[in-house]
Amino acid sequence: MKLRKLFALLLAGVMAFSAAACGAQETVTNNGESSEASSGTSEEPLENKLVIGAITQMKAEFYDANFCNDGTNYSMYDLLHGYTTVVSTKEGEFVYDPTVVKDHSEVENDDGTKTYTVTINDGLVWSDGTPITAKDYVFAVLLESSPEMAELAYPSQAGYYFVGYDEFYSGSTKNFAGVHLVDEMTYSVTVKAEELPFHYDISYASQWPRPIHVIAPDCDVVDAAEGATITGDFTSEVLEKTVNDPETGYRANPSVVCGPYTLSSFDVSAQEAVFKINPNYTGDYRGVKPSIETVVVKLVSNDTMMNELKAGNVDLLSQTGGAENIEAGLDLADEGLVEYISYYRNGYGKVQFDCSKFPTDSENVRQAIAYCLDRNEFVRQYTGGYGSIAQSAYGLAQWEYQESIDWIAENLNAYEMNVDKAIELLEADGWTLGEDGQPYSGEGVRYKEVDGELKPLVIEWANSEGNPVSALLATMLPENMEAAGMQLNPTTMDFSTLSAGIAHTGTTYNMYNLATGIPLLNSPWYYYSKDPAWMQPGYNSNWIADDELDAAAGALKTIPYEDRDAWLDAWRNYIKVWNEKMPDIPLYSDEYFDFYAPKLKNWEASDAIWPWSRAILDASIG
Amino acid sequence: MGKGRYLLKRLIYIVFVFFIISILMFFIYKSMPGDPVESMLGSLKTSMRPDAYQELYDRTAERLGVNQPLPVQYFAWISNMLTGNFGYSTQYQRQVIDVIGAPMFNTIMLNLFTMIVVFLVSIFLGIATAVHKNGVFDKGVQVVTIVGYSIPSFIIALLAIFAFAVKIPIFPISGIRTPGSEATGIAAALDVAWHMALPVLVMSVSGIGGITRYVRASMIDALRMDYIKTARAKGLREKTVIYVHAFRNALIPIVTITTWWIIGLFGGSVVIESVFLWNGLGKMLIDGLMNRDFSIVLTMQMFYVLLSLAGNVLMDIAYTIVDPRVRLEN
Repeated sequence: MKLRKLFALLLAGVMAFSAAACGAQETVTNNGESSEASSGTSEEPLENKLVIGAITQMKAEFYDANFCNDGTNYSMYDLLHGYTTVVSTKEGEFVYDPTVVKDHSEVENDDGTKTYTVTINDGLVWSDGTPITAKDYVFAVLLESSPEMAELAYPSQAGYYFVGYDEFYSGSTKNFAGVHLVDEMTYSVTVKAEELPFHYDISYASQWPRPIHVIAPDCDVVDAAEGATITGDFTSEVLEKTVNDPETGYRANPSVVCGPYTLSSFDVSAQEAVFKINPNYTGDYRGVKPSIETVVVKLVSNDTMMNELKAGNVDLLSQTGGAENIEAGLDLADEGLVEYISYYRNGYGKVQFDCSKFPTDSENVRQAIAYCLDRNEFVRQYTGGYGSIAQSAYGLAQWEYQESIDWIAENLNAYEMNVDKAIELLEADGWTLGEDGQPYSGEGVRYKEVDGELKPLVIEWANSEGNPVSALLATMLPENMEAAGMQLNPTTMDFSTLSAGIAHTGTTYNMYNLATGIPLLNSPWYYYSKDPAWMQPGYNSNWIADDELDAAAGALKTIPYEDRDAWLDAWRNYIKVWNEKMPDIPLYSDEYFDFYAPKLKNWEASDAIWPWSRAILDASIG
Repeated sequence: MGKGRYLLKRLIYIVFVFFIISILMFFIYKSMPGDPVESMLGSLKTSMRPDAYQELYDRTAERLGVNQPLPVQYFAWISNMLTGNFGYSTQYQRQVIDVIGAPMFNTIMLNLFTMIVVFLVSIFLGIATAVHKNGVFDKGVQVVTIVGYSIPSFIIALLAIFAFAVKIPIFPISGIRTPGSEATGIAAALDVAWHMALPVLVMSVSGIGGITRYVRASMIDALRMDYIKTARAKGLREKTVIYVHAFRNALIPIVTITTWWIIGLFGGSVVIESVFLWNGLGKMLIDGLMNRDFSIVLTMQMFYVLLSLAGNVLMDIAYTIVDPRVRLEN
């Protein structure tokens, strides 16, 4: 390795300091092949280190997704922060974490509120050895609901569902009525009556600790009849220093954590984060602790990441998608250089309609467009065979889907490409006239009389630049749409402009191409609510106000979490109604591959439910 | 008009142009579709209740000052900028001054070494090809420089990675240092140098191609002059004729290029930075534009405007140094 570096530096000898390269270098590498070349032995023990390649940039943000929701940062929170009282299991179910929770109780109160009381286990400690108590959990709720934290552009929503939140958040009271520190190891939270019943009500009991001795060192949490409060010097100025300081604040430098790893270093220039095992970590909900001593997360380029894997610069590429990269990875696997697992993405790429805008406010028009696209061919071409099609709003990793595969095949419309069917739907919708107001001749764009005005069937399509999905749709859609009497007007733009269109704060379009992921806390009752409050990007992005869909999605909200059968029935009804209303056309669900060096053992991951940041606990180097 | 008066006039001109451009830039960027507050808050919209999100949005907009009329925003921005407060980056959620340092250092480091390589190679290559005009060496170099000049740097980068990082793995594929390296001091500097070698090599190829041809043409013109014949007739050594008499007179066009290269030290290359994952200013500027992070974008743009304006003055001064015939007052 040293010889190669020396040669490399000699090649770059025109650089001023190349002469100095003759000296010995001590650099760390996972490249086993190179190590052998320099040492002359193949028996060197493997370094207990895993280098993970990430294709999205990292920021110096290690607090939570409320400050930064970028993909790679999001994964790193799992490494640092642990001991949440309610967690999702490997199977995607929400449970109390027995490693953290000693005892819990739920009491329904006479006023319709519900109180969750949780006692945490003795023996949990922060990475600096300080004991974790109920104070740290109560501090987290108070901190992350406080107006002081809101001054830092933090949402301060942690206690939104608890009694007394509005008064606490507004600053009219210093005590949070719905949050109590019962004793040193016990806390309770009381949920507002209007937030019940709720399918995921166990999530209300989900709290996490924050180190009060680091974030608010001169403060304490005390309980009173009016609720818990933070005493001492708790101000936004203090938080500006302890949380927001770009060098020493908890956001950039979480010096004391309780997750499986601690942050050893983060180099924004090198785009590299180094994590070391947290010796004080007691384990996840199964009691599993990590065995890989050092985890390095490093930025890689989509164009060269397979070469990085081959060269040994990275050991793991998680969630690799796209035929080109997958085939390159499989070639490496054929050569025995890497191993892999694959799983389906829990989401899909889609054409998203604006259902408030003419003419895609018509269900028939949306269905007709769906009939104009050969989705099977689209998936084949786009994913190169490494993908599948969803017929409705579900992810292929969802348990509901897994238990409904046959039912879906029998009951949902697959919208096989059929231009005649599209024409039939359009004519039933009144698109029967030509430009001159006479019956449609079969040539050109269809027209329809709306409020005495003749309107053409023109679909304005916003797509983002450099997007292969847009390019493929542009070759597959226009011809069939034209044959059905529709005109497709594409406009290419950057993502911010496209987002402004979806939000109705910029020029609006009939359809957009996007992608969506199905979260574990899937809440379709918001996504298709007729309530104008929810009509906005992130919730009802389709701006669809449909009674049937609103009712079908809304029916899910109050089903008890334990009643899987009732949930499954309601879920099937919801995806069937959705499939008829077609607010989006689901295009493809990728098959993701994790490619990794053979030294990585016991690697099992999946999208959304068991990402690499959790799978790493079971993995080892060997 | 004296030199001092000329410089004063240019300084006033710089200030005037700077303000005009600042107004244009500010209003052009602010008229772009897209919402910087939404970009900053990201996906919080999906995890917060709409009323709470709206409240956070309004609070954030007020904090950033983007809820004010554009002229008010402009005056606030320009007065802050002139006092060294470059604003708040919505993308990084930090003060611009706190996030721009690392990429600027990386860009300057990469460009500086590239400039050294390019000028060391191309000046001597340009002189040599001019002296041996139309010879085999000259023609060979001409072909190579045209190829280097013509091929896009993206292609050269990928070819270089394939050749020197994959097939003959003597350089790392990307990054600034070895993942997880705990090296310090000289070892750390060497590690960075090793990672910088391939991007410098790639960036140098097109630079060498262009400047070699420029130096060659300039030198050929100079070598045709009567004073060169006189110098040779006086019996001066050929080296003296070439490097003292001809090259000095060929310097003016080279000074022009050199000045722009020095200014270019601060300009990042999106292509090179993306391929080699070199965290520099080019990618930062594009990311800033895409995310409507106007504080970052405007800071960088105004910095470049200032550099360009100052560069022109520096170039004029440099002309007077290399060619006494040039007078600033002219």
